[in-house]
Amino acid sequence: MNKPNLSRSGVPTIPMNEPMEWEDWLRGRRARRETGLRVAPEVIRRPESSKDHRLRKLFNGERGLPFKKTEEL
Amino acid sequence: MNANEINKTLVNIDAETDPTLKHLMLASLVTAVFQDQNIELVVVGGSAIEFYTEGAYVSGDVDLCVASTPTPLTGRIRQELMGRLNATGGPRSWQVAGLFVDVLGGFENLATTPIRRLKGPSGEVQLSPVEELIVERVLISTYPRDYPPARDCAKKLLAVALQGEVETDWNEVRRLACSSAYDNWNDVQQLTDEQAQSLEIRSPYDSDE
Repeated sequence: MNKPNLSRSGVPTIPMNEPMEWEDWLRGRRARRETGLRVAPEVIRRPESSKDHRLRKLFNGERGLPFKKTEEL
Repeated sequence: MNANEINKTLVNIDAETDPTLKHLMLASLVTAVFQDQNIELVVVGGSAIEFYTEGAYVSGDVDLCVASTPTPLTGRIRQELMGRLNATGGPRSWQVAGLFVDVLGGFENLATTPIRRLKGPSGEVQLSPVEELIVERVLISTYPRDYPPARDCAKKLLAVALQGEVETDWNEVRRLACSSAYDNWNDVQQLTDEQAQSLEIRSPYDSDE
């Protein structure tokens, strides 16, 4: 197995031409979240959509499950 | 996958409380079940963006499109395959293991770059190319009117791409943005440059590059 390329933050890059290993994807989760935090708020889930009725019914008034905190990733 | 393996996987997905993991596990399982019939699915929209960015964007549904199928994907086939997952509903949207799964129509993709692949717990998950997701989200963020949630989403996609966390073909981003299908190159270039500045790295579109 080839070693994955690393990003500027030092985690495996999601590659263009070959499948990414599950463990490599998991290793990059926190870094990807932290990168996003540098340019936008932490949670950016859309406030509404055409699917609201079914989503809010299933998720107790929310549109999905609560997200993990960055430090838990 | 046999019924026993599917049921064990469904129990794990149902118990998972992390929305991103739950989505990826379910996308992997649905993809595997359709793959058994040589039907290729691609994750599109918010779930694909979440897998690329970890951006806390996704809601409670997974959207997949059909990339290829040897025979027309009839309602009967859809119900039969989703039935193996103990899904309820249909013919294009089902409830499975605490999420909704939508298996939509054919995969609309103008990018010439590859569909990205992640090895999920039940098999490979295919993701819509990041280049088109970037250009599409920028378009939605400005047209027909400003839409800030899409702008934040585009910013996070651009940030992980600029940071090298997702391998990205910037020439393809430019080509798509300049095409008549999107025609939003100025917006894409500006937002890319702004995110590069925020990250204190050089934009791939710096004029002196």
